[in-house]
Amino acid sequence: MNLFRTLLVSALFATPALYAQLPSIGSVKPSAMAEKWQTRTAYVRFFSTTPVEDIEAVNNQVSSILDPLKGEFAFQVPIKGFVFEKALMQEHFNENYLESGKHPNASFTGKIVDFDPGKLTGTGKVKLVLRGKMTIHGQEKEMDIPVELTPKAGKGMIEAKFKVVPEDFGIKIPSAVRNKIAKDIEVSVKADYAG
Amino acid sequence: MRLRYALLLGVWASSIGAIRAQDDLLGLLNEGAPAPEKEPVTAIFKGTKVINGQSPELPAPGVMQFMILHRFGAFSDDFFYNFFGLDNAEIRLSLEYAPVHWLSIGGGRSSFQKTYDGFAKYRIMRQSTGSKGFPLSIVGYSTANVQTLRWQDGLPHNESERWTYSHQLVLARKFSDRFSLAVTPSLVHFNVVERADDPNDVIAIGFGGRFKLNQRISFNAEYFPQLNPAQYGPEGQRETYQNSLSLGFDIETGGHVFQLFFTNSRGLNDPSWIARTPGEWGQGDVYFGFNISRVFTVKPPKLPEG
Repeated sequence: MNLFRTLLVSALFATPALYAQLPSIGSVKPSAMAEKWQTRTAYVRFFSTTPVEDIEAVNNQVSSILDPLKGEFAFQVPIKGFVFEKALMQEHFNENYLESGKHPNASFTGKIVDFDPGKLTGTGKVKLVLRGKMTIHGQEKEMDIPVELTPKAGKGMIEAKFKVVPEDFGIKIPSAVRNKIAKDIEVSVKADYAG
Repeated sequence: MRLRYALLLGVWASSIGAIRAQDDLLGLLNEGAPAPEKEPVTAIFKGTKVINGQSPELPAPGVMQFMILHRFGAFSDDFFYNFFGLDNAEIRLSLEYAPVHWLSIGGGRSSFQKTYDGFAKYRIMRQSTGSKGFPLSIVGYSTANVQTLRWQDGLPHNESERWTYSHQLVLARKFSDRFSLAVTPSLVHFNVVERADDPNDVIAIGFGGRFKLNQRISFNAEYFPQLNPAQYGPEGQRETYQNSLSLGFDIETGGHVFQLFFTNSRGLNDPSWIARTPGEWGQGDVYFGFNISRVFTVKPPKLPEG
């Protein structure tokens, strides 16, 4: 009996894990897809400022999707899409810091805190908090990102500004350049789902 | 008991939902986005040179590159008397600019035989991944060199005697994040050679490799065997010019690439190190050398607007 119970319990817990890896099962119906807010030209800029040097990089190949009924969201940032003013810096960013060959994308997935679908249908600006899993350089961290939502053409535009610490994601900054790269990097995001 | 199973079942069911929902959204994002047809492979080598020879890399468009090449005197040449080879060092300075992504043009001056050179490096194909990718980078590189020593022998000379040329095709591939290889068929032309039976055109096939040791340091090696090397020295003691062999490290810091290495070639312009290397590794004719490159962004790219 005990053995049977153990088997049953472990089977129950193993199943969802397997299930989650099958992409085709339970995928969203086309009609439901149409309701989702989506963009492939969202914009991410990061800015590092120190007394020695300011570094800026911009990426407008970011994709994002938001389910306005459930409040779930996903952002995906192709690392190679970041453009720097200095080409050598861009190469170092990809080769030595973000290792974009190994980790081509950064992502942020989760759910809006205290979500209420009514919040997305108003006419004025709304402040929301996106809570989820930030993945950069293959390493994950739970983060809360406050954002501002501006309603637009029945959908909306999300803007946010927050800080990211490279060391939190296993990105090592060598001591030789430590004074040129800020301890926390300012990230600005703009995702216009109506655009 | 029944309650416990019911609870477990509840946890099980909700965990499916939680795991699936957000993966779904990322999945949806990827579904609609076609994989890029062509994506260039970057940093096949770190610098524009493997050591003496060219790598498939060009400066980025809008970037000017200044290089200092330095070779100390040989270990076999009164090394301590010459203060570790510093007293009899050779140096070359060069400046180049890449107006577009596939072309870089520049000039240099080497102390050996007071030689000026002009060069052009142009990318023909670029290694890239994706359905329309290409497995190799192919880069052409040509130089024209003129030595400007004063004639000392009192004989009549033509100015054309001073000129030498080199043409190379760099075929390179990054095999993995750590390992890249370049094969470089090379042709060197001398307008004038020492003796009638010396070849005016020397052909060499170069091999250059890079192995990345960590994020900032790589080990580089280079060997340029010649198919028809010329000879030098007095009648009866003629010796064949050696093949250039160099071993060293690339070290990166911010805007610089430092290359530190040992080589049996002392000449710094292309014809002299490819086809006029008398030094033999076995005889201690080994020179410690370094290359330093510094890049300046002349025309920064336009950042996308938000």
